[in-house]
Amino acid sequence: MKELMRAEDLFFSYDEGETWSLEGLSLTIQRGKKYAFMGANGSGKSTFFLCCNGIHRPNRGAIYFDGKPVSYKSRDLLALRARVGVVFQDPDDQLFSASVYQEISFGALNLGMPEKAARREVERVIDKLEITPFSHKPAHALSGGQKKQVAIADVLVMHPDIIILDEPCAALDPRHSRIVRGIIDQLTGDGVTVLMSTHDVDYAFSWADEIMLFHRGRLLRQGSPEEVFSDIQALETAGLGRPAVLEVFQSLTQKGVLPKGLSVPRDLKALQRYLEDLPSGERPSSL
Amino acid sequence: MIVIDKICYSSGLRGVNAGEKMAFSVMTLLFCVVSRNAAVALAVFFGNTVLTLWKGRTPWKQYARLLLIPAAFVLLSTAAILVNFSRVPLDAFAVPIGEYYITGSRRSLALCIRLILTALSAASSLYFLSLSTPVTDILQVLQRLRCPTLLVELMLLTYRFIFVLAETAAAMTTAQQSRLGNRNFKTSVRSFGALGSMLFIRAVKRSARIYDAMESRCYDGKLRVLRESIPPKGAEIAGIILWGLVLFGVFMGSVLL
Repeated sequence: MKELMRAEDLFFSYDEGETWSLEGLSLTIQRGKKYAFMGANGSGKSTFFLCCNGIHRPNRGAIYFDGKPVSYKSRDLLALRARVGVVFQDPDDQLFSASVYQEISFGALNLGMPEKAARREVERVIDKLEITPFSHKPAHALSGGQKKQVAIADVLVMHPDIIILDEPCAALDPRHSRIVRGIIDQLTGDGVTVLMSTHDVDYAFSWADEIMLFHRGRLLRQGSPEEVFSDIQALETAGLGRPAVLEVFQSLTQKGVLPKGLSVPRDLKALQRYLEDLPSGERPSSL
Repeated sequence: MIVIDKICYSSGLRGVNAGEKMAFSVMTLLFCVVSRNAAVALAVFFGNTVLTLWKGRTPWKQYARLLLIPAAFVLLSTAAILVNFSRVPLDAFAVPIGEYYITGSRRSLALCIRLILTALSAASSLYFLSLSTPVTDILQVLQRLRCPTLLVELMLLTYRFIFVLAETAAAMTTAQQSRLGNRNFKTSVRSFGALGSMLFIRAVKRSARIYDAMESRCYDGKLRVLRESIPPKGAEIAGIILWGLVLFGVFMGSVLL
């Protein structure tokens, strides 16, 4: 795996050093992987995201892209932001135009795409994200989930290498959560590196290649979902629970229902498959 | 305003080129205001109403309600012209009160009728546009007419965020009401003040976040968006010109006769 981005000892404060939102954060992002950023509110996830595309300039420390430190000259910043797309948590903070079509075209035109290419690109994204049924409605008449789809389209139209999603499923109904997650899966399928913050341990456990556990502006623990969610102490510090699948799987293994040495199932379906594979006679009647 | 916005997005005339609709609206408006002629005003009002209700499929109840708003203003201001208070009775009507009369002249009565007709039909021209054309479409036409970019961008942002602000305000009012914030006059006043100051703070904070979000998409001070315009149709343009000629004919006819 190739290193795409690296943060070294970042410090960032919104109030000139009175409180630190990032306090010595170091981490490495590798190309093509799926990262779930977890940790309590105010642990620095969103602040870090805005450091990634140069909206916030760290007070100390540095961010490296492809091994080169980020430059804060305005032209270099534009180039950086063309590569790092950020989908904000509240779509109302992001959608500035009342017209969905105009809204999505904004990023494409900012990249300097000629009008024809931009039009094609906007229409492609509208089609891909299934926005067509409401693409002629004004932004204020869309539901929260529809606004979120548009917010993601805003960023997709720019073809970034990294897409950062700040709690993409917060306040969405299950149907729209599924739609948004489907879009994210498509993205990772296309080889885009995805950084996502979430509080949903079950989802993070099944989706992520790597979990980044934040605590008070620092990286508390980094590792595969299995590693991080086995670190009870780290979870307790970060105030996180454990994924239901993991809990059930471990107690099933302990009780001897499932044989030892099975790889940890990432989601309910994988666990069900284990159970279905059991010879039916051995299945306890209570299950 | 929100009612108008809802109607225009579902208007039957939404699919007509915005420039045409704007030209039609401005043309009829100018005819009323410049000619100050009752017959022209009637024709304009009739034409706009037919188009808005029949082609635009605007619910007539809502159209009538919207027209009542300018009608109230117009009636109040014309009443001032019509009604005099004098010792001498005038020719149109006179109601004696002691030594005085509440009275009006035929000329001012005619003037009032003409004013009312002109004002209402001018309003119907504007309603025709606003009930059939979303603000974003109008802004695109303005841009094409070389209206200053800064102005158009400001209008675009204002239009979008009026709704965000209204939503925030509505949510906050509901929250205040559910905590009995409006149980009597004193608490209502206090709640309203709190609402105002909180809205201001939120608006400032949100504008900072929106700026961040726009910068994240490579915003460099210029708001570039694609136009999505519907091509104009020859038949419609011909119709607009024809209607212009008809109105001119009505004007000449009423002046000559």
